Amino acid sequence: MSLDPPPPAGPPPPAGPQVGADEWVARQAHRREYLPSWLGRAQRQAERVGWWPRLALAGLAAAALPLIGLGGFQLQVGIDAMVVALLAVGLNITVGWTGLLDLGYVAFFGFGAYGFALVSSGQIGANGIHLPTYLSIPLVMIAAAVLGLLVGLPSRRLVGDYLAIITLFFGEAFVEFTNNVAPNTLGGPNGIVGIDPISIFGHQITTNTGYYLLLVVVLVVTMGVLRLLEFSRTGRAWRAVREDPLAAGSMTIPVDRVKLMAFALGAAVAAMAGTIFAAQQISVFPTDFDTPFLILIYAGLILGGAGSIAGAATGALLIMVIYDGLLRSPTDSGYLFYGLILLTLLVKLRPWRRLGLVLAATAALGFAVHAIAAAISARAVAGSPSSNGWIGSALHDWVIVPANATAAGNWGFVTLVCLLIALVQVRSRTRTILLPPTLYLAAFVWETTLSAQPAVTRQLLIGAILIVMMNARPQGLLGQRRVEAIT
Amino acid sequence: MKTSVIVAAAAAGALAVAGCGSSSTSSTASGATKSCVASVGMEGPLTGPVAVLGQEQLHFAQLAAATDNLANKTKISIVQGDTQLNPAQATTVTQQFTSNSKIVAVVGPAGSQEVEAVGPLMARAGLAFISGSATAAALTTGKYPTFFRTVSKDSVQGPQDAHYIINNLHPKALMIVDDQEAYSTGLVAAMMPIFQAAGIKVDHESVSQKVTDFSSLVAKITPSTTVVVLPWQVASNAQQFGRNMAQEKKKAVIFGTDGLFSPGTFSINGSYVSSFGPDITAIPADAKIVAAATAKFGKFGTFGPPVYAAQHVIDEAIASVCKSGQTPSRANVLAAIKKTNEATTILGQPIKFTSSGDVVNGKFFLFKIDSTGKYNLIPG
Amino acid sequence: MGFFFQELVNGITTGALYSLVALGFSMVYGILKLLNFAHGDLYMVGAYVGFFVIQWFGGPQSLSIAVPLLLLIMFVLAAVLVGGLGVAIERFAYRPLRDAPRIAPLITAIGVSFFLENAALLLFGAQFRVYNTADFISLSSGITIGSVTIDSVQIMVLVLGLLLTVGLRELVNRTKLGKQMRAVAADREAAEMMGINVNFTIAATFFLGSALAGVAGVMGGLLFNQVTPTIGFIVGLKAFTAAVVGGIGSLPGAMLGGLLIGVAESMITGYISSTYTNLFVFALLIVVMLVRPSGLLGRAQLQKV
Repeated sequence: MSLDPPPPAGPPPPAGPQVGADEWVARQAHRREYLPSWLGRAQRQAERVGWWPRLALAGLAAAALPLIGLGGFQLQVGIDAMVVALLAVGLNITVGWTGLLDLGYVAFFGFGAYGFALVSSGQIGANGIHLPTYLSIPLVMIAAAVLGLLVGLPSRRLVGDYLAIITLFFGEAFVEFTNNVAPNTLGGPNGIVGIDPISIFGHQITTNTGYYLLLVVVLVVTMGVLRLLEFSRTGRAWRAVREDPLAAGSMTIPVDRVKLMAFALGAAVAAMAGTIFAAQQISVFPTDFDTPFLILIYAGLILGGAGSIAGAATGALLIMVIYDGLLRSPTDSGYLFYGLILLTLLVKLRPWRRLGLVLAATAALGFAVHAIAAAISARAVAGSPSSNGWIGSALHDWVIVPANATAAGNWGFVTLVCLLIALVQVRSRTRTILLPPTLYLAAFVWETTLSAQPAVTRQLLIGAILIVMMNARPQGLLGQRRVEAIT
Repeated sequence: MKTSVIVAAAAAGALAVAGCGSSSTSSTASGATKSCVASVGMEGPLTGPVAVLGQEQLHFAQLAAATDNLANKTKISIVQGDTQLNPAQATTVTQQFTSNSKIVAVVGPAGSQEVEAVGPLMARAGLAFISGSATAAALTTGKYPTFFRTVSKDSVQGPQDAHYIINNLHPKALMIVDDQEAYSTGLVAAMMPIFQAAGIKVDHESVSQKVTDFSSLVAKITPSTTVVVLPWQVASNAQQFGRNMAQEKKKAVIFGTDGLFSPGTFSINGSYVSSFGPDITAIPADAKIVAAATAKFGKFGTFGPPVYAAQHVIDEAIASVCKSGQTPSRANVLAAIKKTNEATTILGQPIKFTSSGDVVNGKFFLFKIDSTGKYNLIPG
Repeated sequence: MGFFFQELVNGITTGALYSLVALGFSMVYGILKLLNFAHGDLYMVGAYVGFFVIQWFGGPQSLSIAVPLLLLIMFVLAAVLVGGLGVAIERFAYRPLRDAPRIAPLITAIGVSFFLENAALLLFGAQFRVYNTADFISLSSGITIGSVTIDSVQIMVLVLGLLLTVGLRELVNRTKLGKQMRAVAADREAAEMMGINVNFTIAATFFLGSALAGVAGVMGGLLFNQVTPTIGFIVGLKAFTAAVVGGIGSLPGAMLGGLLIGVAESMITGYISSTYTNLFVFALLIVVMLVRPSGLLGRAQLQKV
């Protein structure tokens, strides 16, 4: 009860943008939770449906893909992608939820694969141990969980990057171990071949379609189980340990035990993925589990959003489909290259007037340069674009391809990288002026050298995609923006 | 807003017109004689730590295809697949090739582990694949019916080299270093029992292919060690090993296997190198190929020529299928490869395949390097 | 006994190389808390720069200028070019992510590493480029004490490494730029409020760290002779290990960590076995980390509650 007189009526609210009230301001300040207009309505509707129908629907859609006709290659890419997605989802437990940087995760994957290979093949003993699947996979997963506990033991004393380095040692040591130690049992560099297929309820899975469907089911079930775990006490404990271990400890959360649980569960998920991988490949070799593979898993996890299960799976699927699938074919690489450039322009270059101007200027510049070069010397336009299909024929009279394509292309590549770095530095008007020459140079470099060396281009493109996507969205596709307190 | 739409539409229209224009001009060029068109896949480590081997193989395969296309008036194109010497990636690349119905044969993969990983896939698809560098003995025991190779196997090279060392170099102690790859460990496994049976003291060491500094290992060479056996794949590493030896004043002689055969790269005076074929730079018939390869790609070693031979076998098979009036398919190209009987090839030896895929009568030659770096053939 | 000293000399030389790269790595980490996985590839670019300088002046067998002048040009050019490259990478790839959670720049660094390695593969080709140091710096120059030979290249590496380390320490501790670096490393916002140009300081740190990696690349080329696009990966990994084991953020610690790894590798190869060298080195380093959880010379982090 207040004896003060009521405050006088204030002035009327001003016209124009107001913080907290205006749509545009709120969106710029990233305070909007949903996208504008009908997209936001769709988002709210989807959230009301709940997570497990969405998950089941995605799983059904993925399982239906082979029926509408996927070739052997696409099935293999799908299998590879889902194995990496399973690994990313498992890594998410350690890195995303508990905040422990585990750089040796691929060793658990390898342990699962080698474990399955040892107990379900002709490797050990005269005829080998051929444990049935319902025994071997749980056995391997439990063994991996114990190994995860052991690897996680240093986490009681070491934090942050120091823990990362110990796990890195473990990861490297696994490859060395399987390559050099006990070659008669572990196979040495020749690995273990002739692994039994997985049999579910008496039915052996021997085709790629079978493994694809098995992986869809396993991935969906794992994601569901982890989602349930995310909202349990353990999940909340993990997130508390990630944010502030000291505060979590004072709130009676057993921090050490929670960290060990994260390691163990992550290792078990990785081992499960390893067993399916070993059965599908029918062979395991030490080089299957080296550090570049770990980098792929991390790229998928962080690009999709560390801390979110859907993000981990989506990021991994996206990265693997692009890297292992699309970029392996030169025509698809070309579509991806030009498509990504146009998409970036579309998204970043506003207003539409400017975009149209830049595109028109690029086209005009190209024709002009081509005409001038053809007039000066026939050798300068003697080659033909190395893109196949309609792109190559469309660009034939637009991009100059000299007779000595490779050398010119290499110089163009270096100039292009310098131009791109300059583009980032300059102001908006200079940027618009610099864009058409840069776009033309990009097409030139693609048609002269990059398209002719698909293997190297694949790596270049994935590196560029990683850089650009992380700069565009540092929290990942489905991640939450977090502020880290760095003490 | 309206002006930009018009401008953008104009730009798009200009591009489309240019595209239609050029495509119509190019389409009149084709449609002449119906020529022999086929695709051949090439699997190898095109990027990654051993890219030097894969890129050399790719260059030689491209050279062979270009030369044979001119000679036989065929239109064989190469589809590249990068495996980074990783068997899981080799499986993916092989799936890509088997799903591509235009591909009728494959050159590669480079590593024995990769052949083990992809053999069943290739057999299921009936796709012939010829490797220029997979030398494990276990690969031609009949497990992989569509596998061929243009190089001889470890179980021939290992014992031959070991017996030569024992009989001609008479070491009391030797050091043998493997590079932790299947090729190397296979050779070591073949040679060690022979050395041990002859009573020689053997120091078995092992370094990864990625190591580039061997000074710590070289320091372990005792004065009584007279021979160092290096069954390595990367000749440059062996050259560095030799340099470290000269630096630390070690007097042992290096004995290398065919992976070290690289005139220009490995040139330690007094070393021995075994090879499955004679030095192609010394064969007069190969002078044009050598000149073309050196002009385009620079120095080359031992991995390119066998892949040239493999690609050539496939090109000839495709050409013979076309000449008999059929369209190249996996089945008839496989049959034609099995009937290969080339009297002279780039390797200076005839190529004919046994029923399990090996080259008939593949033998090894031995060279000694002199002070100018030249490889001199040791007769007998 | 001679064997022991020979292995020791070999180990210290390679260790000096690792510590130079680890120093640059630690500097960047100290100021940005960023694990720069592309650091090893800067080493590779430095090695290529040195190779092309040798080719420019006639190739290892027919040099047109004196060897000391050649070495000077190689080192200076590598330092400047690789330093500039480092600054460009920072501006292009890392600056937008300065306030993002620490794990995001990790992936950008990996992307930069992929890009650098494969750009080198595209531009320079896969074949091994060889320095052939023995052709212009004779193998017999150097000192021989009993049965221990120390090559002149090894001596140069040791001396130069020592000079650079001492120089860096003086720079960080005595100059104004060093003070700025230490301030930004301690608290970036406070440093900005104190009038320090944070962008310039970070760029300068990247320049210095990358220049060190470039110089180390030339030294590696002279020592190990062969340059390929992928030599940076292993060296970067070892530098990362050395920096962390020595206490991340601490410059003397990075140097000590590098020397420890070099000597451990050499001794274990010599005395135990070359097959299991890496396994034993890992085991040794794990023991070191467990005994000293913040690294050899790292300070135990006080936790603010």
